[in-house]
This record gives sequence, C-alpha cells and structure tokens, in this order.
Amino acid sequence: MIKKIIVLFLVLLITLLLTIFLLGSTIDKIMLDSVRLQVINSLSDSIGENQRLNQFKDTAERDRFIEEQVQLQTKSLGLEEPWYSPKKIINSMIQILTLNLGNSRFSTTFSGSNNVNDLILEKMPNTLLLFTTSSVAVIIIGLIFGSYLATKEGRLSDKLVAGLASVSQSMPPWWFAMLMIVLFSFSVQIFPARSTPLISPNSPEYFGELLYHMALPFITLVILGVTSSIYYVKYIIMRILSEDYVKSLKTIGISRNRILFKHALKNAGPQLATMLGLGITSTLGGSILIEEIFDWPGMGNLFYNAIIQNDSPLIIGLVYFFTLIYLLTRFILDISLSIFDPRIKSN
Amino acid sequence: MKKVFNFKNLKTIQKNKEGTIGFLLLSLLIVIALYTLFFIPSDTRSEWNNPLYWIDYPKNAAPAWINFFLSFTNNQLPEHVVLDQNDTVLASYTESDFSILNRTFSYSYNFNYFPSGFSIPFTLKVGEISPSIEISVQRPDGNEFLLYSNSINTVSTRDFVDNTDLLINSDPTPAIASQRIFSTSQEIRQSLNGYSQLFNFSLTSLPAEKIIFSNLDSNTPLKGNYKFIFTIYSFDNHTELQNVELIINGQVFGVLGTDEFRRDIFFGILIGTPVALFIGLTVALSATIVGLLYGLAAGYKGNKTGSFMVTIIDVFLSVPTLVIFIILSIHFGNSLLFLIGLFILFGWPGLALLNRTFSIQIKNYPYVEASKLMGESDLRIILRHIVPQLLPFTLANFALAVPAAILAESALSFLGFGDPSFPTWGQMLQDAHFSSAEILGYWWWIIPPGLMISITSMAFIFIGRSLENRFKINKKF
Repeated sequence: MIKKIIVLFLVLLITLLLTIFLLGSTIDKIMLDSVRLQVINSLSDSIGENQRLNQFKDTAERDRFIEEQVQLQTKSLGLEEPWYSPKKIINSMIQILTLNLGNSRFSTTFSGSNNVNDLILEKMPNTLLLFTTSSVAVIIIGLIFGSYLATKEGRLSDKLVAGLASVSQSMPPWWFAMLMIVLFSFSVQIFPARSTPLISPNSPEYFGELLYHMALPFITLVILGVTSSIYYVKYIIMRILSEDYVKSLKTIGISRNRILFKHALKNAGPQLATMLGLGITSTLGGSILIEEIFDWPGMGNLFYNAIIQNDSPLIIGLVYFFTLIYLLTRFILDISLSIFDPRIKSN
Repeated sequence: MKKVFNFKNLKTIQKNKEGTIGFLLLSLLIVIALYTLFFIPSDTRSEWNNPLYWIDYPKNAAPAWINFFLSFTNNQLPEHVVLDQNDTVLASYTESDFSILNRTFSYSYNFNYFPSGFSIPFTLKVGEISPSIEISVQRPDGNEFLLYSNSINTVSTRDFVDNTDLLINSDPTPAIASQRIFSTSQEIRQSLNGYSQLFNFSLTSLPAEKIIFSNLDSNTPLKGNYKFIFTIYSFDNHTELQNVELIINGQVFGVLGTDEFRRDIFFGILIGTPVALFIGLTVALSATIVGLLYGLAAGYKGNKTGSFMVTIIDVFLSVPTLVIFIILSIHFGNSLLFLIGLFILFGWPGLALLNRTFSIQIKNYPYVEASKLMGESDLRIILRHIVPQLLPFTLANFALAVPAAILAESALSFLGFGDPSFPTWGQMLQDAHFSSAEILGYWWWIIPPGLMISITSMAFIFIGRSLENRFKINKKF
C-alpha cells in the first residue's frame, strides 16, 4: 500500500516537473511582462502629469527609472534566475502544490475573476457531474444486462454483445460525439448542439437548463460505454458461475437467482470496482475532447481552450488538477479493492 | 469426449471467422494504401493544405451518389460542371480598328435547387494595348444580363475581386494575364443590381447565382438552356485567348463530396490511409519489441532489479497519458516522428507487464531450469526457450497495439497537434469541427474519416483477438 502511494506521488511529481520544464520559460516571460506593466502603471498612477515631467529630464531618464524598478522587483520575486535553476524549480513546485497557481491570461469565471483556482473550481463540478453520472449509469445498465445474459446461454446475444463491444472500442469516442450532434441537433432537432446554457448561472432555472443541456453528452457517453460494460460484467459473472463452489451450491438446490445475487455478485465486487475505476480514469482523459465537441462547460473544455490560446498558467493548473483527480481515483480504487478482497493486501 | 471435441472445433472456426473479417478489412486498407502510394504522386499528396490546388472544386458539396436517392422524389441537387474551351462555340469578327472574339458556353440547367456559385478562369496573351473583356448570360426566357466588363491591364496589379488569382507577367509584350472571376465578385453583383426592375422580388442579400438562375416572378430556379458568353475586344493583333473555362459549382461532387476548403474528401481518405497504417504499425512493432524484452528481463531477473523494473512500469502506467501527450506536444510541436516516438514511449509498459507474468511462469518450467543447470547463459535461455514460447502471444499483442496508436494519433490531431505535412483522418475531423460541420450537418465530411479510423482499428482488433484465442486454445494459459 505504501509502495503504491509512493508510486502515485512520484507520478504526480514527475508530471509537474515535466510541466514546469516544458512551460517554465513562457511562465517567466509572462511574469516579467506583468511586472513591467505594474511598474509603468504605478508610475502614472502615483504622480500627476506635471510632477512626472519635473521629475525626469527626458524620456531616457524615465526609461532608466522604469528599468531600475523592474529589475528591483524581478530580483525580489526571484525572476532573475533562469527557470531551470534548482531553487526556482523547487519554488515553482511548492507554489503549484499549495495551489498558488496565478492568473489565467484569457479566461475568466462568470463573476469575472481570472484566478486559475476560481476558474477550475467553477468548472470542476460540471465535469464531475457529467462523468460520474454517466459512469455509474453505464455500470448499472451493464450489471443488469450482463448478469441477465450470463445466465442465458444464447449464442446470438453473445456474438452481438461481443461484436458491439469491439465496435465501440475501435471508434474514436469524440467522433461518435460528432455523429450524435449531427443526428440529434441537426437531422432531428431534439437537443441543443452547444451544451453551455445561455442563461446566467445565478438564476434559479440554471440547474434545470444545465441538466437539459447535459442530456446529449450523457446519452452519448452511456451508449459508448454500455456495450463494453455488459460484455465485461457477463464475462466476470460467467467465470464466477463456473467455479466449484457455485456448482456445489447448485447441487444443494439453491435457486439460480439466489446464487447470482447473493454469491456471484458479491464475489464479483472487486472486479466490478476495478471496472468502474478504470472506466472513470479512461473517460477523464477523453473528457478534453468530448467536452470540447459538446461545448460542455467543464474542465476538459477549459483545458482545450487553454491549449488553443496557449494560456500557460491555466494549462499548468489544469495539468495538476487532472493528474490529481486521476491519481486519487486510482488510489481510492486500490484501497477499496484491498477492503473488498483481503488477499490483495497480503500480496 | 466427442462432444467436447465438437464444441472446440466449432469455437476455432468461429474465431477464425472473426480473424477472416479482420484480415479482409486489412487487405482492403493495404490495397488502398498501395494504390495511393503508387498512383498518387507525392507532390500531389502534399497539395492537401494548398487552397489554390482546390480552387476548381465546389464548396461543401455532398457526395454525388445522393442524387440517386433524391431522383425518386425528383429533387436532385445540381451537379458540378466544368466546361472548357472545347465545349464552346466560337464566333469572331473584325471591325475597322478592333476585333471581337466570342466564346459561348451553353449549360442546360434543370434542377430544383440553385447551384452554389460559379467561376470563370481565363488566360489571355496580351499585346501592347489592353483588351477588354465582357461576360454576359442569355437566359432561357430570352433576357440577357451583362455580368462583367473590364479591361485587362497588364501593368497594374490591382485585385479585381476577392479570391482573385491574379498572375500578370511584368515582361514586355506579349504578357500573359491569368485571372478568375467568381460569382461572389462585387462587379457581377453590381451589374445584376441594374436588372432589379425585371424581378418581382427584392434582390438585396441574394448571391449572384440565385439571381441569374432565378425566375422573374419568384426566387425559384428557372430551368432551361443558359448561354454564358465570354467576349474579348482586342485592339491589336497580339491579343490571344489561351484558355477559358466555365465552372458551375454544384451542390454534389465526386465519391464523398468536398469540404469547406473545397477539398475532395475522397482524396483525403485515400492519402490518410498509408499514414495511419504507418503510424499504427511502426508504433506497435517498436512497443511490442521493447515491451517483450523489458518484460522478459523483469520477469527473468526477479529479486530487487526485477521489482525496481516493475516500479518503473507502474509509474508509466499511472500517468494520465493524454494530459502528458498534450503538454509534450505543446512544447515539441507538430512532427510525425515525434508523435510516433511519444506513442512508443507510453505504449510498451502495458505489454511489458503482460510478458513479465508469462516469463515468470515459463522460467520455472523444468526444461528451463535444466538448461540453466547445464550452464547456458541467461541471454541464450531467454532467446532460445522463452521468446519462442511467447511468440504467438506477442503477435496478438502487436495486432492489439495498432488501434491504440491510431486512436491516439487521431485524438492528438484533433487537438491540433497533427503533422500538417502528413494529412491524417484526425486532422480532417479537426477541420470539420473547426468549421462547425456537425452543426451545419455536413455528414459527408464527418462520417468517412471517423469510419476509416474505426475500420482500421477494428481490423487489427479482430486479428488480434483471433490470434489471442488460438494461442489460449493451444497453450491453455
């Protein structure tokens, strides 16, 4: 368990280091620009036009003064060192780990803040809402149909489920999302093509409107996941049903439904939990594309826009949050597995 | 006993059927790829992102075959028509100090929809005195509209219309003037405004083609034979018309239609095939080899080295790959080789973990231990005893690794990190999404690229599954 935590933390650090290495130089440039802007602004704010003219003999002297101030400030912020100096990297690491993520260059929240934390916290609930509800729906539908099909030995349904699962695995999910928009927003106009509600988030109808806009992405994600889910549930339960203890339960005369619900599903718990966890982690990366296509107001969409606009502070913040959510999901999965199945812990 | 045997036989055949489908799909893709490589020269393939190459094509045209289905309701969409100089009727006569040359295109039009525009490219050899040209159209109802009249000036290079391809040689006589007049041109629109009293409806905000091809009393298409007359008034003997064409942009074109940038989608599908196969196969081959060797080493070594090697695999497997791909692509940019390297880097760990499990099993087989006792070297044992055992399984893994690479490439291309010098299906879908194709309903732009990605992945998944099953039946793992 401890080893697992170490590995996950190591991954987090490596990801952040990589991000700093790759985006560090641009971040410094942005910081320098903002320092310069600040100095110039404070100069024109603090003293009146006449005084400024008296203070400096000519523009050259004014420029020298600004340059001096900028250099003073960069030194105090530690910006004079290159981004790859160890001190600087450790500094940036600590800043990111303590969620001191700075300001986005282009995006703002609805209330107007451009703080990266505010931006991400505004979008995160939407992402969690869409992806957890659809993952849970996929698992529930998979459980119902999968366990039903596991007890039925139908060759045709077997082939159908296996075939559909292959099809859903071989197509890009985001392409399927585009097709769904063509189908349900263009050909048959049931759902809006753009999933960001147009009314203000503060109005009382907002949540209902949001749910209506969520319908198409939700349906798409469920269709995408459900065949694989049925296929795997069926496979897991069929394997348990073929084990010796189930056979002996059968010979004692316990009914098939009772075996299925009391014994088989209970023993399938760890594997089903793994399935759910892997489902969530794999859709999380895909959320960047899916959310952008549906224009769902979540973290993935924010990430896409940050990439397009090359908004480095926002990219770093989002990389951190995405990695954190991803690793937390994996960690919770591992813990719950060891609770479900004590054998794993002793291994 | 007999029953079991029958069941097994049935199962093998069934699996083979899956494999056969996969193999057929793959052969189809290979045929397309080879056709593209041998019959489409590489400099033509690189024209994909060059707008000038596609200028004669219609914009956002649907596939031509949908007219077959629309013919049942007699609602066909106008087809794309290119009339060149050989289709024209020539008339020329000379006055005292100038000569007139007429080229008349006749175009019979009987659709219920307007065409999506037209363009007239022409090339003139110009003498010392600038000639002037005139374009007019004779409609089936007898009205004649003058569309365009201007003099061709060799010296000035002013733009006549937007999108004009103006190529004028600054050499002294005779100079070549090559120009293209679009239906969107301001001149055409303005001269049409002069005929507004003929029409019973307002012409404002209507494009030129919807006026020229319209009935007088309502804005519906007027069917019949149209004559486009291209006239040159030349004032010296050097002026010569080298080429003139009339291109009526249809709403349908070719096998798979065209996109917003007038590109033929079928062409894009063709040139995407070898790239996709190349990416998939290269990545899968390298990742399988690395994964096999690493996994074997980790399994065979055991102890501390082995568990350290497993930790490295763990680290790789815990990484949120798409996020890492994105930040690496932002920095290292759009190159195909970089993408391939990236996919190999994150492709091998999963395979290494699988191979490790099997190599631990094989390592403990008596014959391996025997050869160890006989003093064979580790490398020799791995290569002679363990690798051959794992070969069928590795082959299956190889096939199953291909779709992962193809899907990853398409996702990154969609995010805008594709290599623009190698157009891929993912890039086509990115263009489609950027042009809001899904909202405008351009299904012919969205379905084919995604379908090709799916077919390619599916071919390899089927082949991989059937290989895996055969391996399982043989080896009983």
